[in-house]
Amino acid sequence: MVNKYREELKDLKDLVQEQGAFACGMLSSAMTALQDQDPELAGQVYAQRVELAERNLAIEEAALRLIALYQPMARDLRAIVCALRMNFALFRIGRYGKDIAKLVEGLSGEPHIGNLMNLPHMGNLVCTMINDALTAYRTEDIKPIEGMSHRDDVVDELRYAIFRESVTYMTEDPRNITRCIDYVMIARYLERCGDYACDIAEQVCYMVTGERVEVK
Amino acid sequence: MQRDDSILTADHVSLYYGENQALRDISLSIPQNQVTALIGPSGCGKSTLLRCFNRLTDLVENVRLEGRIFFEGLDIHDPDCDVVELRKRIGMVFQRPNPFPSSIYNNIAYGPRVHGIHNKKMLDTIVRESLEAAALWDEVADRLHDSAMGLSGGQQQRLCIARTLAVEPEIILMDEPCSALDPIATSKIENLINDLKEHYTVVIVTHNMQQAARVSDFVGFMYLGQLIEFGPTARIFKNPQEELTNNYVTGRFG
Repeated sequence: MVNKYREELKDLKDLVQEQGAFACGMLSSAMTALQDQDPELAGQVYAQRVELAERNLAIEEAALRLIALYQPMARDLRAIVCALRMNFALFRIGRYGKDIAKLVEGLSGEPHIGNLMNLPHMGNLVCTMINDALTAYRTEDIKPIEGMSHRDDVVDELRYAIFRESVTYMTEDPRNITRCIDYVMIARYLERCGDYACDIAEQVCYMVTGERVEVK
Repeated sequence: MQRDDSILTADHVSLYYGENQALRDISLSIPQNQVTALIGPSGCGKSTLLRCFNRLTDLVENVRLEGRIFFEGLDIHDPDCDVVELRKRIGMVFQRPNPFPSSIYNNIAYGPRVHGIHNKKMLDTIVRESLEAAALWDEVADRLHDSAMGLSGGQQQRLCIARTLAVEPEIILMDEPCSALDPIATSKIENLINDLKEHYTVVIVTHNMQQAARVSDFVGFMYLGQLIEFGPTARIFKNPQEELTNNYVTGRFG
């Protein structure tokens, strides 16, 4: 006999994991497009925003349906709240990917200033944080997210480093200003995505252990 | 698990039906003026524990009880304890409404008469107040002398609650009080339970987890005669400490 409720709970989890791969994919593709100065790839990421929104809605509907029909309790209840909050975080991460993709064309005309500074490194760190949070969600094992706070500190540091470096380039030559402001914005987006990775880590901890922890 | 605000305490209670052990070393305290729900799969001993609280288990043959139960600090199995008085102070409402085959009025007045009240005016007041407290007065005020058997199931159950209230108990034990009722009647009883805790302590046995979640302040989860976990209702349903409780409240067994 198939337990319909357990099947639907698992389906919800699958949807969230797929959305995780999708949103994180948008962010990392946007960073690749930025680095390779590839407006075509950036255009593809920009177009994915529609599917991102559809997936976001589908997850919310599935979670509401579970709550309405089955009155979930205890760990199941925490799993659904976790799914809903992850859904929001992943949607925002995907949207930041879209925002970065939107800036690629304007940054593809001539070589990057300062070889993009630490932005690619920062992008990699953030994507790894998101992926580790997603792994913890998939395996319900909080090991991959134990060092999350520290990694978020590094990301915050990088953001300030990029800001300071951009300021020097802008002072050197006012023609750098427009592009450097974009770099500062991208650093800000990536830093926010790191925060969302921490939010996901907190939610997964609560789902697994029932204990509230503060990450970052 | 002794608490300052507890009115009823089980202290290492074990109970055997002949060779068969139904309760295993149960210790818990029922907090005063709160609703406590006992949940657990069929046969876990929740009804047996409830029946111990006013010594209804005495009526079963071959029952042996170990441990002690204290009601307001007094051992209810003490030879000095008057069991009739005990059952007056700790009333019971059963699964199926069981009104006496008599008038609505007599159903309520029966208990007080047994306890020596015969003054008509006084009985009238008790009947009215009990029916009001059980949220039934408005529905039966003009037919108090009709047979109680003519009431609907939900009304009969509220009549049984009113009959319990008529002898001014301190604790009301309820054994699956809604399982024979439709959703509307169930919701009336649940609202009533919430009102009752202002003046009474309620202990309810239910197999309906949502009902336990809706009506209770504390929940005890029982399994195979043991009390697995006892705690505030929100914690039990949000974040139980025991894996077994989690598995039961999420519907993995039971």
